[in-house]
Amino acid sequence: MRRVAITGMGVLAPLGADVAELFTSLLAGRSGIRRLTQSAFEALRSPIAADVDFDGGAHFETAQLRMLDRVSQLAMIAVAQAVADARLDLSNADLDRCGVSVGTGSGGAATSDEGYHTIYAERSDRVKPYTVLGSMHNAPASWIGIEYGLRGPNLTYSTACSSSAVAIGEAARRIAYGEVDVMLAGGAEAPLCFGVLRAWEAMRTMASVDAHDPAASCRPFSAQRTGLVLGEGAAFLVLEDWQRAAARGAPIHAELRGYGLTTDATHITRPSVAGQAAAMRAALRSAHLDAAAIGYVNAHGTATLQNDPVETQAIKEVFGTHCTALPVSSTKSMHGHLLGAAGALEFVIAVGSLERGVLPPTMHLEAPDPACDLDYVAGRARSGVALAAVMSNSFAFGGTNAVLIACAPGFDPA
Amino acid sequence: MTTLAILQDILIQEFDLTREQVAPQASLSGLGIDSLDLLELMFKIEDRYQLAIRDDIPSNLETVQDVVGYIDGLLARRGPPVAPDADLHATG
Repeated sequence: MRRVAITGMGVLAPLGADVAELFTSLLAGRSGIRRLTQSAFEALRSPIAADVDFDGGAHFETAQLRMLDRVSQLAMIAVAQAVADARLDLSNADLDRCGVSVGTGSGGAATSDEGYHTIYAERSDRVKPYTVLGSMHNAPASWIGIEYGLRGPNLTYSTACSSSAVAIGEAARRIAYGEVDVMLAGGAEAPLCFGVLRAWEAMRTMASVDAHDPAASCRPFSAQRTGLVLGEGAAFLVLEDWQRAAARGAPIHAELRGYGLTTDATHITRPSVAGQAAAMRAALRSAHLDAAAIGYVNAHGTATLQNDPVETQAIKEVFGTHCTALPVSSTKSMHGHLLGAAGALEFVIAVGSLERGVLPPTMHLEAPDPACDLDYVAGRARSGVALAAVMSNSFAFGGTNAVLIACAPGFDPA
Repeated sequence: MTTLAILQDILIQEFDLTREQVAPQASLSGLGIDSLDLLELMFKIEDRYQLAIRDDIPSNLETVQDVVGYIDGLLARRGPPVAPDADLHATG
């Protein structure tokens, strides 16, 4: 099994148009959640979301925009950043051994929404010809493959909130097994259209708008939490066979050392302590690490009533007494829940934290739920932290749990 | 305005092309316009001429002039046409 290097990262997120801006926002405890002021969203019970200030027209030509849903646009921008960050020169690469792995929960949601509006609301047969191609879940991955000429595996994973953690883990596994050498892996989600927001609202799991400050509406682990806040964005990594990366003098952010994948198999929404704990243990085993080696956990921490105490309990079961020295934070408090892209954004945050020796905070946490009593890095980021290994959790509706572990390049616990 | 001029305006607008590129003999595929793009183009034609194009678009439209011929055929079949340069969006 070969080692996997993370040589590039790119994001287009509610907190920043690139990784540097993302971290400036995270460390300042800034929230990207805001009230949605467009009249289209007036009818929503909680018109709040974490959106990205992004105009596709500034990045893509008209003819191309016709074919690209926002989800694909976000993905391509984030991938380009990651490729540039990795200084990845594909002109000499064996493109049959380079691939793409993307996680998305909703695919081209706006394109789909518009198509249904045309059919049912306008009762018109003038559905845009690109509707299927724009809305299909594999569109972002396919466009990335076309853009870079990558002829290796091109896959799209859709496991709800763990989609892009799965996409990253599966991509790493292909490299480790020797099947491919380079994978562009990550996630993209652009779900902020009325139809999707209405559908999510119907599940009664969305946060109420905070009376004092809409930006503080997402409160993971808090006794006052009221639910999740949706976000949009994309985050991508360049994953490379370690030897290949070292041979070309690539910048190595971290090693992707562990990937744990389990299924709750109990309930379509209610999370399972056993399933989550098993995923974290599986990640540790695949990384050949003891729980005590982990210096920070980026929690799934959605701020739903269900997730937070279950995840807390699962962390306690896995980490035992190490919990007293283990900071755990939910950055969803600031960037919202990017659904299929959450795993990727949060893993980028975990890796970036590892590199910078910082702990991003769980914001808006004044009084924790009594069942949530870990060190959640409440209210303020920490810096100057010695980190060797970090963990990122993604637990999903449907029960697919994916946990990733990254280690500092020089870290060798043996 | 002639059908050609109207079509050229739409092509320039929708496909980021120059007037030189959309000469009558210009090949659609050479301009990066594929079959799906052609379908979208027809929506614009429908709007511009208040047409409803029911039949399948012929698969042998290769040049800008071919599309002009196709549009003229639709207009002729429709009967008394709306003047091509009427302002269809005027109120009142």
